[in-house]
Amino acid sequence: MEQHIRFQDVSVSYGTQVALQDISLEIPRNQIFGIIGPANSGKTTLLKCINRTIDFIGSAKVQGQVQVDGQDVNRLRNVYDLRRRVGMVFPLPVGLPLTVYENVAYAPRRAGLFDRHELDALVEKCLRQAVLWDEVKDRLQTLGTKLSGGQQQRLTLARALSHRPEILCLDEFSIAIDPVTTMKIEDVLLELKQEMTIVLVTNLVQQAHRLADHTAFFNNSQLIETGPTEKMFTEPDDKLTYAYVTGGFG
Amino acid sequence: MTEPNSDCLQYFVTGTSEEEPRSSSDADGSREQPFTSLRQALEALGTDTSRTPSSDGNRGGPTVMLTCIARAGASPPPNGTPSHQYFVDPFTPARGKGTEQAPWDSFEVAYAKLTDLARSQQLALRVGDRLEICCREVFTATALEKWKNIKEAIAKYVFLTMALTCFLPVVVILTFLLVKAWPALSVDFLVTNPQNNLTAGGIWAPLIGTFFLVLTSLLVAAPIGILAGVYLNEYASDNWITRIINLAVMNLAGVPSIVHALFGVGAFVHFAYMGRSLLAAACTVAVMTLPVIITSTREALAAVPMSFREACWNMGATRWQTIRTIVLPNSIAGILTGVILQVARAAGETAPILFTGAVLYVPIADAGWEYMVPYGPNDRFMALSYHLFALSTQIRGISDELLYGTAVVLIGLVLLVNSFAIGLRIFLRSRKKW
Amino acid sequence: MPEADANREPSPPRPWSMLRTFHVAVDWCEPLVEWIIRICGWSAILFVFAIFFFVFREGSEMLLGGLDLKEFFTSPNWRPDSVVRPQYGILALLAGTISVTGLAMLIAVPLGLGAAVYVAEFAGPRSKETLKVVIELLAAIPSVVWGFIGYMVLGPIIIWATGAPVGINVLNGGIILALMSVPIIVSVSEDALRAVPDSYREAALALGASRWEIVSRVLFPAAKNGLLAAVLLGVGRAIGETMAVLMATGHAVQIPHSLLDPVRTLTATIAAELGETVSGEEHYGVLFVIGIVLFAIAFVVNLTADLVVKGIRGEKHD
Repeated sequence: MEQHIRFQDVSVSYGTQVALQDISLEIPRNQIFGIIGPANSGKTTLLKCINRTIDFIGSAKVQGQVQVDGQDVNRLRNVYDLRRRVGMVFPLPVGLPLTVYENVAYAPRRAGLFDRHELDALVEKCLRQAVLWDEVKDRLQTLGTKLSGGQQQRLTLARALSHRPEILCLDEFSIAIDPVTTMKIEDVLLELKQEMTIVLVTNLVQQAHRLADHTAFFNNSQLIETGPTEKMFTEPDDKLTYAYVTGGFG
Repeated sequence: MTEPNSDCLQYFVTGTSEEEPRSSSDADGSREQPFTSLRQALEALGTDTSRTPSSDGNRGGPTVMLTCIARAGASPPPNGTPSHQYFVDPFTPARGKGTEQAPWDSFEVAYAKLTDLARSQQLALRVGDRLEICCREVFTATALEKWKNIKEAIAKYVFLTMALTCFLPVVVILTFLLVKAWPALSVDFLVTNPQNNLTAGGIWAPLIGTFFLVLTSLLVAAPIGILAGVYLNEYASDNWITRIINLAVMNLAGVPSIVHALFGVGAFVHFAYMGRSLLAAACTVAVMTLPVIITSTREALAAVPMSFREACWNMGATRWQTIRTIVLPNSIAGILTGVILQVARAAGETAPILFTGAVLYVPIADAGWEYMVPYGPNDRFMALSYHLFALSTQIRGISDELLYGTAVVLIGLVLLVNSFAIGLRIFLRSRKKW
Repeated sequence: MPEADANREPSPPRPWSMLRTFHVAVDWCEPLVEWIIRICGWSAILFVFAIFFFVFREGSEMLLGGLDLKEFFTSPNWRPDSVVRPQYGILALLAGTISVTGLAMLIAVPLGLGAAVYVAEFAGPRSKETLKVVIELLAAIPSVVWGFIGYMVLGPIIIWATGAPVGINVLNGGIILALMSVPIIVSVSEDALRAVPDSYREAALALGASRWEIVSRVLFPAAKNGLLAAVLLGVGRAIGETMAVLMATGHAVQIPHSLLDPVRTLTATIAAELGETVSGEEHYGVLFVIGIVLFAIAFVVNLTADLVVKGIRGEKHD
């Protein structure tokens, strides 16, 4: 199977604190890749390495290689292009202080799309994919920050989809969303994987079980185990993994 | 505390002090059958445990009250402060004195001690007296706490007086100036040029001079100041050069205005060959007021949450795109506040323009284009602040109202601009977008 | 899905749009814009150096030769106009600055700190807002207006109250400077008091402390660095003040012996005499040397205030 993202001996530290230790991992194309593990195990840091937003953390030091499509992201000339190829959704909803429409149209505009009709179509499509269209279609001109928390989170998702990324990274996206909507978005994700690779960091072990094709288990800055989801959840090689997926971790 | 409540046991004693008890068994302390003496009452209470309120931690509740009445059946005296008050608190060390600070630890001890006192004639009740034994209440102010409250009130009013001493004189003085200036104030005063060696007429020439000075200095200071603020908040990482810049900004704000004037003379008037001119003065004022703009721009930018920037970066927006599309539009009002404050400051400054371009008198036209735009960048000019200085120290035989009028217009101008900035800030705070 | 990947695929030529051209142009200039921003950011350093450089340049001739530095700092004789032998001793001017500043601080520091405590701890929310606005407005009153008040209003009052021959003297200047420095002292120390974590107040309240005890035993010790910085900034402002002291302290170059003696400060001397001098002559140079002295004083005061404030932050990390 074709590899899309490849981590090779990646270590990250913030000052003296180690966030990731010698991670080597391959994420296949057009699949959902689940990442599970307790808090503080370096999952978010891993995502930040993919689109190099880790650069904004002054104290972070990255070693090793992260490759997207075989290219080392740290050697890329145009990091903004890389970030446009990667969609990111973080746990806390952030509605930009623009209208709902402008929130979604933001990235396409920055990339040079100004045609009104194309933008309209794109905005509608992204909002539909984020299961938000029905709720906001009559108030596209209200401020994104005035939406409720759950709506803002879906707006964030719509924004992440708006630049048609090849990779979609979701970091515990369902925290602020109710279960029904979560299920709807999960269905969308299953459809979306035809178009893009999805990296799903989640606290909900069952969510990873439901969606992911492959799963990796992180603990204490280290990659404990990775493999096909079915195997991870039924007969993992590592005792720790078994304890975690069955809820006996501790 | 004298109000009998549910936990209050009230007994009565007749006032005849050392009469032999008629029959101690009859007396039960009620109004009809009172105890005949305090001693008898206390002994009776001490022996009969059913008459002792439970002091089991139910603080603030039970009270035993002994009221002295003239004879059996007489009505009790009106409620008032008890003449003898003793305190009980089960949670204190055993050896107390019955006072509020050092209460006895139980009612039994209280009865015993009080009986001793009554026996030794140290304690007696006269008619109308009332003796009260109560549980010390935790949430009632003790004498110490009352004293603390008084101290606190005193402190509050002392501080209030200090605050008022700072501000009231100024308010009084400003009112005084306004009263003195009142006869002169009119639109005519504002739009007429000074006449007759400055001893008559209005203040149009200096007023318009101040306007052009402020405008020019703003054109110089605003772009540099705003961009410097953007740099410090958005680009600068936390390293030594940033620290030096911060130090420099602070120093720029602290350098005495007359040193700025010397700098203006050295740098703009002589070195840059501007001569004494509007431009030289404006540049000097601009450098002087730069920190005002830098600081408030920084604050305005810092108020935009970091998460907005991160969201944009995650979508592939560059730093500058993020600043231009999200950060600046959401902080522009705060930045404007800083710019307005700079305007107010520039309008009032005198020292920096003393030797860089302001002069005592420039004859300007009374109408037409020359009236509206009397000074070119290379001209010497009149300014309101310098005008006030000159009028009050160098011109003799000037009427008070003209003098005070000039002062009041200058103060009014500065305060008006400042209030506008403050109002803008309050208005913005009330309608934030997030 | 015809709209899919609309922005990735090379789309047909779009209609010309001014908005788009503007955006593209602005983004294309990004490296240029970044450099402009960076240079503006560094300009603050540039200006501080430029101030020092140009003031030094004009004064260097006198400072490096011609000026007897010992006489400059120790002689009370300031006679720049003397035809026989001009003397440039700033001791009397220094004494003027120190006496006026000292008196101003004696008045302003207790009042300012008291007012700050009232605003920060005792005032209700509404009066707090009002007072803060008033403070801000007072801080905005131009110094020439203060000078005018001292000259025209306070002077006659002092003559009437004390019977002094002139109303513009140390007392007048001190009071005016005090009123001027109060707003900055109040606002900076109010910030310092507010910076004390509420947990300190709550802990003290839980121990049964009254508000006054909190102020005196908890807030003052915890905020002492910030309060010190406030005082220093007030001192810095008072020393550097020009127009007010020029108009309110009189024009006698002398070491004052009483509050009612008129004096002349360093700043007022420059303001009063620079206009009479010609670039290049001795007197002109000496005035710039005084400027260097003032610059140095301001630098030291501000640096100290900054270090003191940094001290607070250092302690907080512990």
